[in-house]
Amino acid sequence: MEPLPSVESNRVVVSTEGTLTLGQALRLVQQRKAENRRRSIFLVCGFEPLHLETFLQGHFALRFPSEAVDVQTGLYGNLEPALEAAAASPAEAAAVVIEWSDLDPRLGLRSAGGWALSVQADILRSCQERLLRLLGGLKAVGDKMPVALVPPTLPLSLLGHTAGWQFSLAEAELQKQMATFLADAAQIGRVALLNSSSLARVSPEPLRLDALMELKAGFPYTVAHASAVGGLVVKLLFPPSPMKGLITDLDETLWSGIVGEVGAQNVSWSLAEHTAIHGLYQQMLGHLAEMGVLLAVATKNELAVVEEALQRDDLLLPRKSFFPVSANWGPKSDSIAEILRTWRIGADSVVFVDDSAMELDEVRTAFPAMTCLEFSGKRPAKSVELLEQLRDLFGKAGVDREDGLPQAIPQSSAFKAATGGSSRAEFIRGLHGRLVFDCRKDPANQRLLELINKTNQFNLNGTCLSESEWLKLFADQSALVVGVSYEDKFGPLGTIGVLSGRRVSDVLELTSWVLSCRAFSRQIEDHMLDHLFHQHGVGAIQLAFRPTPRNQPLQHYLVSLGLDLDRGKASLSREQFRTHIEDLPHQVRLLTS
Amino acid sequence: MTDIPSRVSQCFLNVFPDMRAADLPRATQSALPQWDSVAHATLLSAISEEFQIDLDDESFESLTSYLLIVDFVENRVVQA
Repeated sequence: MEPLPSVESNRVVVSTEGTLTLGQALRLVQQRKAENRRRSIFLVCGFEPLHLETFLQGHFALRFPSEAVDVQTGLYGNLEPALEAAAASPAEAAAVVIEWSDLDPRLGLRSAGGWALSVQADILRSCQERLLRLLGGLKAVGDKMPVALVPPTLPLSLLGHTAGWQFSLAEAELQKQMATFLADAAQIGRVALLNSSSLARVSPEPLRLDALMELKAGFPYTVAHASAVGGLVVKLLFPPSPMKGLITDLDETLWSGIVGEVGAQNVSWSLAEHTAIHGLYQQMLGHLAEMGVLLAVATKNELAVVEEALQRDDLLLPRKSFFPVSANWGPKSDSIAEILRTWRIGADSVVFVDDSAMELDEVRTAFPAMTCLEFSGKRPAKSVELLEQLRDLFGKAGVDREDGLPQAIPQSSAFKAATGGSSRAEFIRGLHGRLVFDCRKDPANQRLLELINKTNQFNLNGTCLSESEWLKLFADQSALVVGVSYEDKFGPLGTIGVLSGRRVSDVLELTSWVLSCRAFSRQIEDHMLDHLFHQHGVGAIQLAFRPTPRNQPLQHYLVSLGLDLDRGKASLSREQFRTHIEDLPHQVRLLTS
Repeated sequence: MTDIPSRVSQCFLNVFPDMRAADLPRATQSALPQWDSVAHATLLSAISEEFQIDLDDESFESLTSYLLIVDFVENRVVQA
């Protein structure tokens, strides 16, 4: 577990990079609010961003002590439009966080569509189609900026007719689809995938889902899990520079035994001699050498005997991988100083590995910026941890042929199809949505008033209505109040929108217009305007629009219809609406008194 | 036990940094425009984290003022 940043009163003092609590993250975000050096990330996720957004900013603040990051987010509930928005945004990087419910809401806790055997084939089909479209969107974002892609982190705990300990065919099929998607995504330039094993080390799977918060607020992660994901996303988007060189000790490190005592033929690194952990270390060094990492030796030995051992045929990396080899009886810090001069690189780019705590301390004192790591041959678990640490220190975000690494594997046919474009309109039609416009004037329907007063993002003006204003509206004969409910193949969303205003001659004065964020990205807003033009037969709608800090989604929509909000033009003619809206996807039913 | 109000206050100030500590005892969801659904979820998560308390459906809906939250935390800490 990484150490926590220390907190002094209301100031967070960061001692080292580490895990953040929500309180610490909130304070870090607050501290950096006035910071002039700001960067920008686009967070693409299907759920409410809530603490994940906070933790992205918090972990960024830990990583870059004198900078701040602004996080843009897309609309709730649909990844594709958010990917489009990210690709069109000036953000310098994007974090794309996918959960199973983004592929099909029936895989999450908020859908009423069910996951019975009878719909599993449809779920699989819908996931496959969604992944295809996501791949296309990901490609568009990856062409513009670095992308951190987080594959589903929450379990598929309910799907399947089997008991929980048995993997069902449907689950296996979904995992197969996801694996293909990730393999394709990994080949898109600048897309970096989160390693699920690394995430599991800091966030165990059973502790990730917060069912209460998911059902109440649309945010499925526990605080600790959100922190872990946020931290790793920042690492993916802003990776630390990889180390350039590794200097290794020999005796009890590269091999077992003291070569000066037992001779070159009797030091060992094999399973047969119970010293295989040293062989693993040699393989790791060979791997690093192929990645272009500089390797050198610093050992207290006679050079001749060292050379004899390094020439052995069964050494698991080529002798030529090491340059220079410094073998003498002087302090190791002197040897290392000489190696650094030969390499012409700084100590802060170099790792030193030795089995002796004393030697490590001596080198650390001479080169405080150098990363000094202990090799514990007698404790294999510690040694494996060391190898994992070396992977982290030397790992590169991308690979290229000059590093001697294999070329990318051919992309799947899905990838080619997705990057060739796919139809979002087809997807929306495939939802088989059904809208109900309830035009009955029922003042007892408190849900409508609640929606007007609680909706922030798609809200015409943010104006809250009191109970008496609400009742007055119903008493006005020229006023209209329309409640809108919606359901599709993923289940009912209930009442999700309200329109209210009054008709004055050929113009409809729209005073309240809200749409729940759960219902974004399904063209329901188009249907709502169409209802006003079609059912009320007006030639224009005068919108009582006012910008609020939270109603950007509505502003974007109005601008997409050609309204110039900067000039205060908030009137939409029937003709203008028709030029922007070609086809409406859902079935509509009217309820009138 | 005695530091519960100050720890709750710190959670509030983390979520509503523009508030004055002196105004906290009067803070309610209906009176505070910035206490919207997002802030509510953030605040209760911060309280839950600070005091290691699991929230349930009822408390999520009912904890709508500073005083109710202090009272709730004090009761839960005593029970623990």
